[in-house]
Amino acid sequence: MSEKVLLVDDEKDFLDIMSERMQARGMTVKTADSADKALAMLENESFDAIVMDFKMPGMDGIQALKNIKTQKPELQIILLTGYATVEKTVEAMKIGATDLLEKPADLEALAAKIKQAKAEKMLLVEKQTEEKIKDILQRFGG
Amino acid sequence: MPNHDLSPDRNGVRFFGTLSAAVTHDMKNFLAIINENAGLLGDLAGRARNGPVPIDPQKAALISEKIRKQVNRADGMIKQFNRFSHSMDHAQEAVDMEEMVHLVAGLSERIIRHHEVFLTVTAASVPCRIQAHRFDLLHLIFRAFEMVCEILDNAPEDTRKEVTVNFGSDPMGPEICFMYDTDTGWDTLFDDPKDRALLDRVNMHVKKAGTGSGFCLCKTFKKQ
Repeated sequence: MSEKVLLVDDEKDFLDIMSERMQARGMTVKTADSADKALAMLENESFDAIVMDFKMPGMDGIQALKNIKTQKPELQIILLTGYATVEKTVEAMKIGATDLLEKPADLEALAAKIKQAKAEKMLLVEKQTEEKIKDILQRFGG
Repeated sequence: MPNHDLSPDRNGVRFFGTLSAAVTHDMKNFLAIINENAGLLGDLAGRARNGPVPIDPQKAALISEKIRKQVNRADGMIKQFNRFSHSMDHAQEAVDMEEMVHLVAGLSERIIRHHEVFLTVTAASVPCRIQAHRFDLLHLIFRAFEMVCEILDNAPEDTRKEVTVNFGSDPMGPEICFMYDTDTGWDTLFDDPKDRALLDRVNMHVKKAGTGSGFCLCKTFKKQ
């Protein structure tokens, strides 16, 4: 099954070309030009991974990351940035980013990370389901 | 490079760093789009090589146009950045304020956009010049933009996030006015000693705009 990705960037030209190339690789891609719009889309739709620019107008990358992780902790977020400093990378990873890539990024490398992100998300969802079942069994099975 | 002993202070270096970071970030974005367009051409070539689908000439022309658009954006940005970088080479001279506002606005577009502020610069009806060091005047205009963005960030929610810059000439001399939709924050503008020192270096002072909300940077005439 193909990966479903939400691509978030304030550069419309970048969104258009990236989504075209990702779709050509079999991915299902939706786009948002701000973190606020991405958060709104997450309320109604599920994705395997989010590929998001770190610096956008309005809500910044760190705040968006925090909000998304609160809303959907299992969601894997790959950040794209002009410059990946060590401090920025550490901060993003602490909040729960899956990875951080520098622009211009290699699409094949990004596609591999998206595949990996989907696998990690599925593992997390399986774990969450197991815990739920365990919890139900404990409550009703004595 | 001419030596006019115009070494910027630590604050000036910070200003230079802030604009450099914004410009290089923009450049990375232009490169990313060019990179993806080149990649798309590679994808199309690969498909044409491996199958019966030839490259669509219209599609190739469209990609070429998109690459050209990004190269033009990058070229414009580099030209502006080069002018900015050379602003320190000039001794005190008659500087066109409108030209300087456009230069700072162009280079700090990303920073202003991050505050979701919409900026309009209206054309000056008469040439608006001031005797100053270019770098200091650029710094002062940038500080004014930063302050306006901060004011609008903290303004009541229904405030329009729009700034209009216009140029005037009050009876005492040329001025740059920053007009926006709130009266808050006016009393603490340029309170910081570093900002005061910057105003002094450019021989300007701040006054509340005569009509509407906002402030003007006006030429100061020193008493003989």
